[in-house]
Amino acid sequence: MTPKQRKLAYELITNPPPGSKLAAAKEWGVDLTLLYENLLRTPTERAQSFASTVRSFNALRAEEKKTALG
Amino acid sequence: MKELPEILKTLYDAQIDFVVIGGAAMHLQGSAYVTKDVDSCYSRTPQNIKRLTAALKPYHPALRGAAEGLAFVFDARTVTQGMNFTLSTDLGDLNFLAEVAGLGSFEDVKAAADTQIIAAMEILVLSLVGLIKSKKAAGRPKDLYVVPELEGLELLKRKTGAK
Repeated sequence: MTPKQRKLAYELITNPPPGSKLAAAKEWGVDLTLLYENLLRTPTERAQSFASTVRSFNALRAEEKKTALG
Repeated sequence: MKELPEILKTLYDAQIDFVVIGGAAMHLQGSAYVTKDVDSCYSRTPQNIKRLTAALKPYHPALRGAAEGLAFVFDARTVTQGMNFTLSTDLGDLNFLAEVAGLGSFEDVKAAADTQIIAAMEILVLSLVGLIKSKKAAGRPKDLYVVPELEGLELLKRKTGAK
């Protein structure tokens, strides 16, 4: 994103327009800062982070299962 | 699971006509959603089916969740006779769908896709508008759960022009 796009995106996630889909997402529990951070990345960077995100998630899940069993 | 660019490169280098859909497409579009498999919609032309099965052969595709001992060969004949395939491969869990709910067959899905440059490859990724349409049409709780995030993200990208 260009600096101008970043500024606008940051304004939108910190103050979503009332009644907008962004406000609805925030109300639903979506962490808008995560969307902002993801948009700062290029599609290649997002693709590169995909598998590591999945691995982290699976590790957390496995840990959660172990805790539940223990 | 192998890195997503490596998975995409396998399909791209084999000149397979495919569109990334589902959770992987959501992630590539900027969503925070996590999924453990990679979904694609593929063209059902005989040539594409031949390319797809040949490209995956070295990665030992097996039908995911099938009973042990069930004979399964991911070849052109099998794909021609079926539609959707949920595979476990040496690359990771890969799903190939012939149609997408709310959109239709490959050509409809392709028309609803964005081209993204990923690791110097031109990859078709289902657009946020297409993802929202498909999730609403699928209608399962897990699909509807992500709609508010997708709609918020779509607005954010549209307003800012972010890719």
